[in-house]
Amino acid sequence: MASLPPALKKDDDIDDDSEYSPFYGIEKSAVLQEARCFNDRELDARRCAQVITKLLYLINQGETFTKNEATDVFFATTKLFQSKDIGLRRMVYLMIKEISPSSDEVIIVTSSLMKDMNSKTDLYRANAIRVLCRITDGGLLGQIERYLKQAVVDKNPVVSSAALVSGIHLLQSNPEIVKRWSNEVQEAVQSKAPLVQFHGLALLHQIRQNDRLALSKLVSGLSRGTVRSPLAQCLLIRYTCQVISELGPNSQTGDRPFFDFLESCLRHKADMVIFEAARAITEMSGVTSRELTPAITVLQLFLSSSKPVLRFAAVRTLNKVAQTQPLAVANCNIDMESLISDQNRSIATLAITTLLKTGNESGVDRLMKQITNFMSDIADEYKIVVVEAIRSLCLKFPQKYRSLMNFLSNILREEGGFEYKKAIVDSILILIREIPDAKESGLSHLCEFIEDCEFTYLSTQILHLLGNEGPKTSDPSKYIRYVYNRVILENATVRASAVSALAKFGAVVEGLRPRILILLRRCLYDNDDEVRDRATLYLSLLSDEPDAAQDDAKAFLFQDLDVPLENLEKSLELYEPSERPFDLAAVPKDTKPRHQTEKKAPTSKEKKAAKDASKKSAEGGASNTFEAYEKLLNSIPMFAGFGKLFKSSAPVALTEEETEYAVNVVKHVYPGHVVLQFNCTNTIAEHLLENVNVAMDLIEGEDFNQVATNPLASMPCGVTGQAFVAFEKPEGACSLGKFSSTLRFYVKEVDPSTGDADEDGYEDEYQLEDLEITAADYILKAGVSNFRNAWESLDSESERVDEYSLGTRESLQDAVQAVTTILGMQVCEATDVVPSNARSHTCLLAGRFLGDTQVLVRLSVGIDSQKQVAMKLAVRSEDPSVSDIIHEIINS
Amino acid sequence: MILCVLFTNRAGNVLLERFHGLPAEERLHWRSFLVKLTAENLKTARDDEVFVASHKSVFIVYTVIGDICIFAVGKEVYDELALMEVLNAVTSSVKEVCRKDPSERLFLEKYGKVCLCLDEIISQGALEHTDKDRIRRLTRLKPLAE
Repeated sequence: MASLPPALKKDDDIDDDSEYSPFYGIEKSAVLQEARCFNDRELDARRCAQVITKLLYLINQGETFTKNEATDVFFATTKLFQSKDIGLRRMVYLMIKEISPSSDEVIIVTSSLMKDMNSKTDLYRANAIRVLCRITDGGLLGQIERYLKQAVVDKNPVVSSAALVSGIHLLQSNPEIVKRWSNEVQEAVQSKAPLVQFHGLALLHQIRQNDRLALSKLVSGLSRGTVRSPLAQCLLIRYTCQVISELGPNSQTGDRPFFDFLESCLRHKADMVIFEAARAITEMSGVTSRELTPAITVLQLFLSSSKPVLRFAAVRTLNKVAQTQPLAVANCNIDMESLISDQNRSIATLAITTLLKTGNESGVDRLMKQITNFMSDIADEYKIVVVEAIRSLCLKFPQKYRSLMNFLSNILREEGGFEYKKAIVDSILILIREIPDAKESGLSHLCEFIEDCEFTYLSTQILHLLGNEGPKTSDPSKYIRYVYNRVILENATVRASAVSALAKFGAVVEGLRPRILILLRRCLYDNDDEVRDRATLYLSLLSDEPDAAQDDAKAFLFQDLDVPLENLEKSLELYEPSERPFDLAAVPKDTKPRHQTEKKAPTSKEKKAAKDASKKSAEGGASNTFEAYEKLLNSIPMFAGFGKLFKSSAPVALTEEETEYAVNVVKHVYPGHVVLQFNCTNTIAEHLLENVNVAMDLIEGEDFNQVATNPLASMPCGVTGQAFVAFEKPEGACSLGKFSSTLRFYVKEVDPSTGDADEDGYEDEYQLEDLEITAADYILKAGVSNFRNAWESLDSESERVDEYSLGTRESLQDAVQAVTTILGMQVCEATDVVPSNARSHTCLLAGRFLGDTQVLVRLSVGIDSQKQVAMKLAVRSEDPSVSDIIHEIINS
Repeated sequence: MILCVLFTNRAGNVLLERFHGLPAEERLHWRSFLVKLTAENLKTARDDEVFVASHKSVFIVYTVIGDICIFAVGKEVYDELALMEVLNAVTSSVKEVCRKDPSERLFLEKYGKVCLCLDEIISQGALEHTDKDRIRRLTRLKPLAE
């Protein structure tokens, strides 16, 4: 049942007379007609209740009422307040909530509901509160607030709950009103009625969630007292965790506050509370194995519970723990294995993926056997989870690649949707890349797969890989058949990919070239022009005899574009057809183009606008990109001769926030020049600044020679403008320096009421913070898709390795962060995240140094028990001198 | 937030549904997702057998009584265990209203009563009452037993 349109609800498939629905043949118009009985002088309560039921049914079936119909029904329903029948009254309350009358209609029913809200009958009060809070707006709420506050502490738990739950909803729309109920809610939290306590605690937490101290007091008060409701106790545990994470462990004893409370909850009589406590403990940051053990033990017991929900909750929690601390969960492996055959497939899948994380190498084969049986009867969503877990397992135990790769290839042949097949193919691709021994068998499996693959995307991806990797294998010829079959059998997109793959074989394997040429010639008659074009191009490339020409062909076929596709797309969009050919070298390589700050704030006299504008500039929040910087600089004639812009830094603030003038600087690096762009914002409405320039003095460094300045003519309040200063430096050198800078300008007073400036003014200046040109300014973030391959492709002779002590650090993450910030390079493969509790870690960085020289860094750090951090830095580069420079940067 | 409570017959046709905090255009998707996800399990399910699943950050518990399948979907505070409280409240109330495991026809006959029970159990996505006797009394506006 893939989709279920509302029309195909119950009524359509009634074929058995004996089981027909009481709503069979129901029609909106007829029911609306029937609803007229609401206006009868003598109300028939039973009949009215039946009509309301029919209306509810229609609404629920997705039937919509026009504005007029809804209004009529609403007005008619309000007449039913005249009836004394309590069953009908209950239906009326529900009906009003379901119709949700418009704000101008609510007034009709307000007085009736207000009357009920003050009724002696508790349940009238409770229902009236719920209805009023649901349909009311802020204005009316002010009038009934007094009653609501009273209701919160009503001795009838139903009334109290109604007010509290309504308060939870009202807090979203009218927080200032609900926050005034704090004292009453506090009282409700102490109620003897379990659900009142639950609702009260939820509301009190929402009211106080931004007040850390109040929250901490709330938790410490309640954790000592008695919370009756398990649901409330679960909330308390959640809030306790929040407090724990904010407080952190006691610095002297290392103990965690409230940990005893959490541990005591592990012995609570309600399962729900035990789980919440166990989960809370496992999710604490930096949890130790001593803290973890009792929680894991109770979860383990639940693995064999007879209730599926408890088994599910236990295995789900353990699965999460296994992601970070597999050893802690390993004790549960036996119980976990028995869950593989659990009737509930969700539980079985979670058990399997947990086992895949916690299992050891010797158990892999047995586990795979069990999984094979299991795979055939679960849905694709679950299969994908299993495939991903198997991929991680294979990377963990590369020696086991044979059985794991076989498993993947087997499931690849079975039925499945695109997402599932893609997950398998992605996994095989990753294994081929990471485990060299697995390459040939992986390629064979993929060849088999494309013989019968219905997904164009996957076929083209595999053909691309075959073209790159196939020619390097021991017997490249065996792949040709699979590739050429695609040309005969598939759609145009796949055929074009296959032609490219064939050409790659021809370029690399000389022995195969004549035969490849024959195959390519056959493609000249393809009925798709892309396929024909490719075949023609490759034929002419490969038919050239001299070796040099073949090298060119190889380079052409295999070279990476070397620029991010996103940037290429943008550059192509900007390119205007002309005599000048498109220059691929001019496409920026920075993976995250630096943002530009020239975006102008709206001309407003308000200080706030100016402040926002300066903040935006400081954060680089403007949407302009590196190209926009380039365009801006190219538009200034004095910088035109500087050559191609290499890098623009992120804006660096040179003033504190909330000052009169907000200034930040963007450093633009050219091969032989550095241009400093000062983004200045005036936040004083009474001042107009003119002829704004920045005077600079070199404090450290010798290489810089000021060659040009470009002042900002006028700087009214709230508008960000730019002043520039340019320095010359030795061509290609990584010159470092530190400057002091002062903003100089001419001030004219402005009458804020008219906006007119005085004619006369005076000179003034404003001291800015020092600014530095650092090594990171000469390194461009430029990631590589496969670090290992990129590293090996660089000459090992260029490698420079050295070890450093980084002194005492709070954590390894801290150390990694510090070094990556200094170098300003792109982090590869998300290696900047250090797993918690790790004692050592390797972070991979890639970048391009001024002059477009590729440089890669392997940064290994380790921490000892005294928190002393040692670092080993290995650098490879296309130019060995750049490797030395990286070490110099770290040394300095 | 309790995102949804849904009643279907065994063939997967929706009989009654209550959504909270889900935009109307997503409801159709949820309906068909739930039915598809659970069809296999429900085919052979015994009365009162409870099933549980999670999808991204959302939890789903469901069961079957008589001809009626009942689903509860929630997130955040309403994880699988809290949803069990919801599901227990709903199933016990439905049984109470129908006086036995309901056939489809019986369920539809008691449609109005079931709507009232749901209204007492869930208020705009939050659990309000769980005790079946109390819910029964509340739907009749009868005072609570002391």
